[in-house]
Amino acid sequence: MKSAKVVGVLIPIFIASTIYYINNKKPATHLVEFTAPFVFGRFTVPQNNPLTQESVLLGRRLFYDPLLSSNNQVSCATCHKQPLAFTDGLKTSVGVSGKPLAFNSMSLVNLMWGPKHFFWNGRSPSLEDQAIQPIEHLDEMSRNIEDLLVDLNNDDTYRDLFKRAFGEVSAQGIAKALANFQRMLISSNSRYDQYIRGELTLSSIEEQGRKLFMAHPDTKVILRGGNCIDCHSQFLTGGFSTMFDGFSNNGLDDDQALQAGLFTLTNNEAHRGLFKAPTLRNIAVTAPYMHDGRFTTLEDVLAHYNGGIKRSKTLSPLIIEADNIPKTQKNHISLNLNDDEIIAIIAFLHTLTDKEFLTNPAFSNPFTEENNNG
Amino acid sequence: MCKLLLIALAIILFTGCNEPIKTPQTQTITKTAVNTEQTSTKNSAVNIEETQALVLLSGLPTLGTTDSIAIIEMDPESANFGKILYDYPLPKLDAPMHHLYYSPNGRLYATGLGSQCSLAEISLVRNAMAEPIINKFDCLNTNGQNVGEDIMWHSVNGELYMFVTFMGGSDLTQLDTGTVGVFNPQTNEVIKIIEARKSQVAQGQPYIMFPHGISAYGDRMVVTSSTHPAIASEVGNTVTIIDLNTFEPIETIVIEDANPVGFPSSPVEVLFVRPSIVEGVEPAILVNTLFGFETWKIPYNEQTKIFSTPEKLYDGATAGTAVPLEFYGNEDELFISHGVPGIVKRYDLKQLPNLVSSGEDIKAESGAHHMIFYKSAAGRKLIAVQNNLLNLGDVKDNDPTDIDFIAKLNHHSLTVHDLVTGERLGEINFKEKYQKGIDNIEALFGSGFTHHH
Repeated sequence: MKSAKVVGVLIPIFIASTIYYINNKKPATHLVEFTAPFVFGRFTVPQNNPLTQESVLLGRRLFYDPLLSSNNQVSCATCHKQPLAFTDGLKTSVGVSGKPLAFNSMSLVNLMWGPKHFFWNGRSPSLEDQAIQPIEHLDEMSRNIEDLLVDLNNDDTYRDLFKRAFGEVSAQGIAKALANFQRMLISSNSRYDQYIRGELTLSSIEEQGRKLFMAHPDTKVILRGGNCIDCHSQFLTGGFSTMFDGFSNNGLDDDQALQAGLFTLTNNEAHRGLFKAPTLRNIAVTAPYMHDGRFTTLEDVLAHYNGGIKRSKTLSPLIIEADNIPKTQKNHISLNLNDDEIIAIIAFLHTLTDKEFLTNPAFSNPFTEENNNG
Repeated sequence: MCKLLLIALAIILFTGCNEPIKTPQTQTITKTAVNTEQTSTKNSAVNIEETQALVLLSGLPTLGTTDSIAIIEMDPESANFGKILYDYPLPKLDAPMHHLYYSPNGRLYATGLGSQCSLAEISLVRNAMAEPIINKFDCLNTNGQNVGEDIMWHSVNGELYMFVTFMGGSDLTQLDTGTVGVFNPQTNEVIKIIEARKSQVAQGQPYIMFPHGISAYGDRMVVTSSTHPAIASEVGNTVTIIDLNTFEPIETIVIEDANPVGFPSSPVEVLFVRPSIVEGVEPAILVNTLFGFETWKIPYNEQTKIFSTPEKLYDGATAGTAVPLEFYGNEDELFISHGVPGIVKRYDLKQLPNLVSSGEDIKAESGAHHMIFYKSAAGRKLIAVQNNLLNLGDVKDNDPTDIDFIAKLNHHSLTVHDLVTGERLGEINFKEKYQKGIDNIEALFGSGFTHHH
């Protein structure tokens, strides 16, 4: 009799604990495998968000899904289109509100390397944090996260994908999945990458541009330079990992018009007008340029550095100092490159285009793929 | 092999008359257990790779180990100090790989002491854990050149080339077939093999014997003729100047004075001191002589393109050192390694091409050879010295470790020193710890100085 009572108690406990275990067990995930160029440097992945195949798969679907916006018409991919190296071709992006946003859409590429400060003004400390901000922003996607979680839970496909990646649907899971999909946007097969690996030789004009790109001009030894590398030393990856390295005032505005930039994050006046020096990978397909998209072409950009610099209190000293002719006019700042040199630098910038990356099916819209498969 | 016997004899002859210098000993590391969780945490916090180095390791056949390229932790303050973090087995070759070099574009190359693979490119990538790994080791076509030694990348009239010295040249059985290979630095294709056999050029014409050291400035290149890699009796005593406009030898200069051990001087490594190293310097070539135990200077007039009579700057026979080998440097100092007694001498960079001491010798170990400069994770400036001449032995030598027939120059170790004080902070003995010999060391991100070991 006593035994039967004990068994009667134990059986429900066993059943309950089994159900609890099944519902809460950590999903079996699989780490993504890849190799990347050594020259990109070391990268880091947050320990609480391992780069799993399941999270990347989920992140890709979320990235392309307009369900993430309040009007079901705007997805991350609306402002980050793969053929444009995940930019949108607009001066500044436009979200659900229809109002032009404050910033030009940033290219998404090689984001695992370096960045500790995302967005043009560095306001986000991680890819996970960065992923959620546009969803909630009233002008961008304006989606209430709680409502979004309900919708995702009501979708069998998402419920399954979340279960496989994280165990359940959650806001944290959305952020982690979007972050990991973006981490996998690795580009390493541009003509320049192939040149670095010794697989091809640059044309003479590209090679001239490469040398100019890499050189800080020095009139004392007649070394001509484009001064590009001074701010864009991480031009192949997503940026710098050290404090605020990679933020610079590149002379777009004078003191009166100087925009906040990094000051937004730090409240440090020395950071007013400093914006992130972006990756230059795929730069030929990411027009228009600068944080506010003010320059339409690469020729416009080069013209800016070749005479259009505006002096301000936080202007980069590397820009002030760089000149290919001995300084004669104190207030005039210019690289003083000649036309051929400008053409060469632009030719070199075109070698940074990775066509394989721009068409890689692994980064494309999965809904299109599903529709095509019937 | 015979060359080594010769070196051994020379060293024995020389060192037999000298008391070995006692150096403070640091306990050889024995700790091997690693807390991987801790490592993983550190990896994500800082770039720990700045204290890591690539090493070429030779397997010792009688100890059952094989050749490899390894990545090793070099921070003496790290729990992982001396640990092999990654090991890439090399194919079975007829001789060890000898030197590692990064090209200006960051491509990794190695020279090899044999005929099967005298020059190789090594592909370094990162895996999904962000760890550096080697995914390819390609032996390059050298048009049959043997025994690769030094590599230098140098621009001539706006065109970059990769130059490689081949001590064995095109035919190891001949006395004078050493060559300098000129390669396309992008494709690795041979552009030209520079050869000037003493037996074939007219009397008084420039020749190249066994090119080892290499350095260049403008349109002038210098290579040394040190020792024949296979024929013991053949030892050189010259350097040869090459006109880089034509890739033709134009002058052979004898570098020799006293012969402290009875052999020709055997010029080994050279450094063309030039304005890119020391601003405003009057260019000159510095030459170390393996068996002369000396360091020489050859002044160069850039305007007339004339090299003056060599001057002896340092005499090891009187100073108690032998086998001067490498020139390395940083922003402030030039360092020269001396295999016997195993020290690194340091000189004021700004005083070059003259050798003005900038501090006490760094007391390494016998066979002091290659070196790297780096900072510990805590920011301490360090120098690591590889103490080993060559690992060329084999079973036929009837030695239990295969390589100790030149024991006085093969300590099999790396010693790490405070760069400012010279204090020894750690030692890794590869033979004791890994049953391997060490051939070369290169910082994982390169040495940061124009050297041509």
